[in-house]
Amino acid sequence: MKFLLRLAWKNLSRYRKRTIITAAALAVGLGAYIFMDSWILGIEKESERNLVWYETSSARALDDGYWEQKDRLPLKYTIDEPEAVLGWLAGKKIPAAPRTVFGGELIMHKDPFLEDGSLTLRVLAIDPVKDDTVFRLKETIEAGRYLEPGEEKILIGAWLAADLGAEVGYPLTVVTRTRDGYYQTIDVEIAGIFNCPNPAINKGTVFIPLDTADRYLEMNGAVTEINLRLPEREDADALAAALESDLAGVAPGLDVKSWRDLAEDYLAFAGMKKSASNIILILVFIIAAVGISNTMIMAINERTKELGMMRALGMKDSEIRLAFLLEAGGIGFIGAVMGVVLGVVLSYWIVSRGVDMGGLIGDMDIGYRVHGLFRGAWHPEAMVTAFIFGIVLTVLVSFLSTGRALRRGIADSLRYS
Amino acid sequence: MITLAKVSKNYRIGEIMVQALVDVSLEAEQNEFLSIAGPSGSGKTTLLNLIGCIDRPDSGEIFIDWQAVSARNKKELALFRREKLGFVFQTFNLIPVLTAYENVSFVLSLLDIREPEIKARSMAMLREVGLEGKEDVLPGRLSGGQQQRVAIARALVKSPRIVLADEPTANLDSKTGEDILKLMERLNKKHNTMFIFSTHDPMVMDYAHRLVSLHDGRIVSDERRTK
Repeated sequence: MKFLLRLAWKNLSRYRKRTIITAAALAVGLGAYIFMDSWILGIEKESERNLVWYETSSARALDDGYWEQKDRLPLKYTIDEPEAVLGWLAGKKIPAAPRTVFGGELIMHKDPFLEDGSLTLRVLAIDPVKDDTVFRLKETIEAGRYLEPGEEKILIGAWLAADLGAEVGYPLTVVTRTRDGYYQTIDVEIAGIFNCPNPAINKGTVFIPLDTADRYLEMNGAVTEINLRLPEREDADALAAALESDLAGVAPGLDVKSWRDLAEDYLAFAGMKKSASNIILILVFIIAAVGISNTMIMAINERTKELGMMRALGMKDSEIRLAFLLEAGGIGFIGAVMGVVLGVVLSYWIVSRGVDMGGLIGDMDIGYRVHGLFRGAWHPEAMVTAFIFGIVLTVLVSFLSTGRALRRGIADSLRYS
Repeated sequence: MITLAKVSKNYRIGEIMVQALVDVSLEAEQNEFLSIAGPSGSGKTTLLNLIGCIDRPDSGEIFIDWQAVSARNKKELALFRREKLGFVFQTFNLIPVLTAYENVSFVLSLLDIREPEIKARSMAMLREVGLEGKEDVLPGRLSGGQQQRVAIARALVKSPRIVLADEPTANLDSKTGEDILKLMERLNKKHNTMFIFSTHDPMVMDYAHRLVSLHDGRIVSDERRTK
């Protein structure tokens, strides 16, 4: 064993160029894997954060009939006494914000807009005082100001504003239906333009004050949902289930959905994207494996005669195989260390600096709730996996190549050139 | 003692079957200094490979010390070669990353021999083949003759029963080749080790105590010489 270790070490240091080339091929593959994994993970984490901060909140209380009809944005299934629920939640020190969601047609008139037009979108009526205890929309106002209670003003996203050519102070009309189904028109003025990192909100949602909406929609104090901010590290699903049970005594007939339930479409989409990303990662690995296989096969082939000599002198096949495996393990170790270092350097760059994809994808919806700067996230598990995989892959390739060389007869090996 | 009884070996080269050895029978005693001579393609290397248990005959039997080689499995043959046989190759076949000392000592480290003894025997053998002072030199920095001396030291350091040398002087100039043959002859006498070496060089044949000539895979003459 001592001799085999010494032989492996000497071969590694003697064939330095080959060792470095093989290790470098492995390092590039592993480094690329760690980098890609970090970037994808960063995008996923930021997406989920932007989903909770701007779209779903951690959890949401709804009338138990609402969920089935949610795509129609009904005003029929409401929380009629939101103050009771909000009071109970305040007692539990759970930040909460009531909202009413309804569909509407946004109508623009020529002057000050460039031309007449309309578009259908989702209107969120928010409590300007309570909403920023749960959501972070207020922090994203880039022109004008945030809403104030009771005013007939509206907030629109920067993407939508750019599409419409809208500016702060421009008038808009929202045509909708009241709770009882009658047509209603709300004339509002743009109070502010927000630029939220969640593209889904940025391009297709407008916000008006909750009491203004209540008046026009004849809601009589009812809201369609109460959004909750739960501790970030807690299991939102379990907390939502516990809250639903506790709230039954306060306001019967409420469902509490965690952000995972609320974002099931996004999560399904993210799962699909993850599968596609995994295919890319597998391809990266395959390229690395092919590179390593090639150099290892060449390295073993060029030493076929040496291998034949060792067998002729009485070394058992298992000893020869072990000698080559130790050597390959050494190359794998060097390559894995280099790969992890490369991956850490690349990940550091993508985590701390990120890549501004704004210019490339513009306002295109790529599904993730991120736009502009795409950052990575540290993922130590992927580094450990890559490190172990690098060594195992090299040893496995060497095992197969050595096996092939050992199937050759000793006399054939000695004649090999 | 080696006995070959009606040994035949064929090779397939593409579609053609080549008879490398045809019904070869031969006996060799323990201390012989035997040369297998013949032109290229006469079967010299095949015969050495069969005696060296690195190839198997298609028919016939080989006995070494009255034990049939065919009765041993692959692992047993490896252990047999490790303990009883020494090889010297035409192209030296040293491990390029190991020094002269390490090339010689590694065959002892495969046996259950302790480090101090490995060192003593390896150094003594290198001295014996005239390589004192070259112990730490890599093969690439040795001349052809010196490399072949390392190969001979490697073959003899474990005190094998038989040393098989395939054209040991073919890659050496005539003066160095003659030195190598004298060294082999001296070691044959000193250690009582059987040497079987192949050649097509008449100068090398002159050194043999017994000359077996092959032609087209058959033994055509077997003469003993008085030295």
